[in-house]
Amino acid sequence: MRLRALNDAARRLGLHREQADADARAIAPALLSAPAEPARELKALRALAAWCGCWSPTVALDLSPGGFEGLFLDITGVDHLFGGEDAMLAAMRRRLKAAGISCRVALAPTPGAAWAMARWSGKETSRLDSAGLREGLAPLPLAALRLDEANLRLARLFGLRRIGDLYALPRSGLARRFRDGDGLGLVRRLDQALGLAEEPLTPVRPAADYRAVKLFAEPVLDMAGIEARLPALAAKLAAQLERDGRGAARLRLTGFRSIGTTATLEVRIGTPHRQTEIWLRLLREKGLDRLDPGFGFDALALSADRTAPVIPIQPALEPDSARPADALSVAELADRLAARLGEAAVTMPVPVPSWVPERSERRVPAQDVRPVPAGRPRPLLMLDPPEPVEVMAELPDSPPARFRWRRVLRHVARAEGPERLEPEWWQIQRRPVPEQAESVESGMDIFPLKNQGLQEATCENQGRIKRSDRTRDYYLVEDENGARYWLFREGLYDRREEKEPVPSWWMHGLFP
Amino acid sequence: MEAVSVRVPLHSPYPQHSDTLEEACAENFRAMAATLCFALSRLPADGRPAVVCMTAAQTHEYGRIFGRGTVWTRSFPLLLVEPRKAIEALWAAEQALRSGAVAGVAVAVDDLTLTQTRRLELAARQGLASAMTVLTRPGGLTAARRRWRIRPAPSAPNPFDTRAPGSLRIEAELVRSRTEPPALFMLEQDDETHRLRLADRLAGHGLVEAGRTVAAA
Repeated sequence: MRLRALNDAARRLGLHREQADADARAIAPALLSAPAEPARELKALRALAAWCGCWSPTVALDLSPGGFEGLFLDITGVDHLFGGEDAMLAAMRRRLKAAGISCRVALAPTPGAAWAMARWSGKETSRLDSAGLREGLAPLPLAALRLDEANLRLARLFGLRRIGDLYALPRSGLARRFRDGDGLGLVRRLDQALGLAEEPLTPVRPAADYRAVKLFAEPVLDMAGIEARLPALAAKLAAQLERDGRGAARLRLTGFRSIGTTATLEVRIGTPHRQTEIWLRLLREKGLDRLDPGFGFDALALSADRTAPVIPIQPALEPDSARPADALSVAELADRLAARLGEAAVTMPVPVPSWVPERSERRVPAQDVRPVPAGRPRPLLMLDPPEPVEVMAELPDSPPARFRWRRVLRHVARAEGPERLEPEWWQIQRRPVPEQAESVESGMDIFPLKNQGLQEATCENQGRIKRSDRTRDYYLVEDENGARYWLFREGLYDRREEKEPVPSWWMHGLFP
Repeated sequence: MEAVSVRVPLHSPYPQHSDTLEEACAENFRAMAATLCFALSRLPADGRPAVVCMTAAQTHEYGRIFGRGTVWTRSFPLLLVEPRKAIEALWAAEQALRSGAVAGVAVAVDDLTLTQTRRLELAARQGLASAMTVLTRPGGLTAARRRWRIRPAPSAPNPFDTRAPGSLRIEAELVRSRTEPPALFMLEQDDETHRLRLADRLAGHGLVEAGRTVAAA
């Protein structure tokens, strides 16, 4: 186990990245560490990148090895909006700090140089311009060039320590000796830092490919004016889409207010198409009249943020007698309902391969779904979340004899079960390493993780066990009046000695 | 269980095909799942999807529709609409019925006025669809062609385990209809056709559900 990321306090103690955990603990016995979660780090970084969209349209993630903790912002032609480069850097630092994120910002003509300055200049805010690029990078250590460990070690052998040491050396020799897996050797990294080689940034949110913009000589103040101009805008966008044989799956209308702010309206379209009158109706139902023009819109832009190929279908010669001639498709209906009620309100259930009932189904926006294969009987109505019940049942795993749910006592006439559902071990969240070795052992027995070699997983020293991490026994019971319920017991009685909480009973669903 | 107040004429057949608007009223809170199941099974199965409109408050009270639990009501695919207010549920139901895109709509509401039921009925007629209103208490005036009262019944004997419930059964009471006399029907889940079939008129399998082949009845 190696250290992946550290805070300032740990760095002051002399610990560094890629250090073995055991070594670090020898240096600092009080070190607190938690297993790295790269997936969550990446997610958090993506969220931050999305937020940084307020500074620049092109925000890219820094995915170089050693932790996801960097962002590249291309601020070409943007800085004047924030009062110049210095003011922009200061504002960035201020706002990130206010959000509780410690950061170092650097501005340089190339991504490589900015990366080096942010991490190795030792200053909170640093700036390099094209003229001072070579001199500015010269005193930095070679690690500032994003080299891999093998190349760094080789460079140390040659006595090369600073970037400036490389300037005088012949390139052919450097290129021959310093290579790495991708062929991105030292020379390539040096060229990228000095701006001699291209380094394109991959923006997190790519700009819309299909976009129609209309500029107005006078700001448009009223809704009638906007509505009158929309058809032409939509036709322009539809023409672009038609040229490429595509349809819009997500539409965005952006109004640019004269005071510099924007107002947007987004519509999702289930089956991509380019029928402008349906677009306009969806926009209207989504709340076009609530789009606030403020002191007037200088420009309107309609963009298709997501598109998909559209295949024209020949209409049938004979109309279908079972449905009206002007019938909408299901997707069109769902779009209309979702535009008014919200996307989360109009869904279709699709099966997911999981045996835990609440995970075995997902709600997705309306689309073509295939029938669910019939399996074990499942209730028609599911309670979300399950509700607690008081149960009288024989130990260890007999079905309930009577139970109290929502304050009413019900006597069970007939029961079927248990249907035992074990937790899905591959879904169980990895938690920090426990302090005592013996608690690891008992944790292992509860969750069948031993074979997976996930040393970090444990449960009870972290307090609460998640519901999905416990074994469940499901019972289908019928009371004296014929009402049928789906109950489950969480936990097993014969696992009590392993510090698991007392098994509890829950109502999960209602059968017809 | 409550005593049933209607006399059962021996020969009244179960209406196989649903009308444009029917009302299914759950006898009590526990009967909601049975009522929804009955409503879904009455919607025509012509390949078009079915829509269920339930407000968020109702899903909280009775539970959400679970797709895997609807397999044997044969209403598939299902479009679930979960608005915040009952009036939005009715709007969604009307839009869905009128669109012609769906075979039927089951809309669960607490109260309905005559005008609202009339609007649903007209929309269903326009879209060649069926509407089922699922109520939790008997409503007043309505444009519904049939009014049903639904309650769950003790399930059929399980041939493999006497202690376990067998095929589930539902008691459907036809309270009022424009064309038929009032009647009481016992419906049973059919594992083969994935639908409800009549279970009480004759011994054994009862009347055969439309479209089912039975080797020995």
